[in-house]
Amino acid sequence: MTVTSVHQFAQCITCHAWSSDQSMVAFCPNNNEVHIYRLVEDKWEKVHVLQKHDQVISGIDWSARSNRIVTASHDRNSYVWNLEGSEWVPTLVILRLNRAALCVQWSPKENKFAVGSGAKTVCICYYEQENNWWVSKLIRKRHDSSVTSVSWHPNNILLATTSTDGKCRVFSTFIKGVDAKDSKKSTSSDLKFGELIVQLDLSSSWTFGVKWSPSGNTLAYVGHNSMIYFVDDVGPSPLAQNVVFRDLPLRDVLFVSEKTVIGVGFDCNPMVFAADERGVWGFVRYLAERKTVSSGSRYGSQFSEAFGKFYGQSKQGGSNDAVETSRTRGAVHDNCINSIMPLGEHGILTKRFSTSGLDGRIVLWDLENEQDLLEL
Amino acid sequence: MATTTLRLYLTCIRNTLHAAMCLQNFPCQEVERHNKPEVELKTSSELLLNPVLICRNEAEKCLIETSINSLRISLKVKQADELENILTKKFLRFLSMRAEAFQVLRRKPVQGYDISFLITNYHCEEMQKQKLIDFIVQFMEDIDKEISELKLSVNTRGRLVATEFLKQFI
Repeated sequence: MTVTSVHQFAQCITCHAWSSDQSMVAFCPNNNEVHIYRLVEDKWEKVHVLQKHDQVISGIDWSARSNRIVTASHDRNSYVWNLEGSEWVPTLVILRLNRAALCVQWSPKENKFAVGSGAKTVCICYYEQENNWWVSKLIRKRHDSSVTSVSWHPNNILLATTSTDGKCRVFSTFIKGVDAKDSKKSTSSDLKFGELIVQLDLSSSWTFGVKWSPSGNTLAYVGHNSMIYFVDDVGPSPLAQNVVFRDLPLRDVLFVSEKTVIGVGFDCNPMVFAADERGVWGFVRYLAERKTVSSGSRYGSQFSEAFGKFYGQSKQGGSNDAVETSRTRGAVHDNCINSIMPLGEHGILTKRFSTSGLDGRIVLWDLENEQDLLEL
Repeated sequence: MATTTLRLYLTCIRNTLHAAMCLQNFPCQEVERHNKPEVELKTSSELLLNPVLICRNEAEKCLIETSINSLRISLKVKQADELENILTKKFLRFLSMRAEAFQVLRRKPVQGYDISFLITNYHCEEMQKQKLIDFIVQFMEDIDKEISELKLSVNTRGRLVATEFLKQFI
């Protein structure tokens, strides 16, 4: 079985992140708090609650080496949390946003982080030693709609973004004084801050979940029209591939190797995509077995009865009943999966990852036992 | 025969809802710190999807409008004669007035329709998607039945009253 552990942490989880050794997980239970759980003798124990935001938290990222947590929230703010003793101490980030912050990610070197926002801008934040706070530089005027996700290229300079205007863009985020000029990689560090490297207009609908492959050669993102896009040679002449799949759209993707991508989304079941030896991407299969329960619908009840049913069962919990008419849900998650995170040592590729979704579960997956996928 | 076409109509709606109900939390782009159903506000056109209109015939149709964080389903119920018309109006008004008890019911139907539902990402977070769809489809199925039963009872009652009234002239 690919699933190694399933744990119901809350009613609903918006995002989650792991500490570098995977002993602790931070997640937002769909409110203004971040809960941190630690695994103690095979049981999850709540160790910290981070309270500072006043609206739902939309993004969490935990830096592996510096052990800092950055959170982004719909209240337009972002905080960097440092562990001092046994307390997490927040530092406000001057985002200068006037709309919600939607996503956040640490750069690979952990000296910067990017925040995508509903103000149609991206903030690149860095630490200013003399003032002792995090300041941000904004990439303005490029996005026509909210920025739904951000992803750092391994070179710490390039940043890919997706937006609800249906485009995927790659920017340079070179900041003087933060990023050292690198003579070897002159192509990426010659670029000025905020310069648009490439704009990919492949999707006809909203785009989400952009990710770079571990080497930074391939870019993957998803569209709300049930498509996933793979882009090679990001630069002046990118090579794009579109893969259409049959089921509901995806929300997020993760590269588990250069040639394998896991996609999660509204179908509640992770999908595996892989590239063959010629580099052609395609859908492989679902990760969990699909349970399709379709019993004949029971018709002919009165309004009051339907009303009662609606109350009794559409709430989570009381689920198993004869009235269940048709159900095509994933075996492990039973609501939309909205985030997927890699597990394992920082920078080293693993076949392990975790998913969390609107059903409040965090599921750990391991591809080691999936022979057919390891051969890809 | 009528039941087969009804079944097809409902299956079509069920499948459309299944595809359309892919909602997510999305804060307002126009107003600070607000989070409103985009399908109602319609402030940013890029956040709306193409509406789908499913018609069984001229009198019965269903409009499904989708946005990034909300979904609106508007129904037009069959009204063959004036009696059905008034019964539908009264009955659906009765339901709409109790909209908060149904959670997903809209207090006022969209113009040109008899009753509307508004489903937001919050409903999808706390309820199971399949049950929500089942509820809507069940609702559509029951409404016709309910109206024809009401019509029958009104007719029966009318006949009874008329008989009683006319007895005095015998």
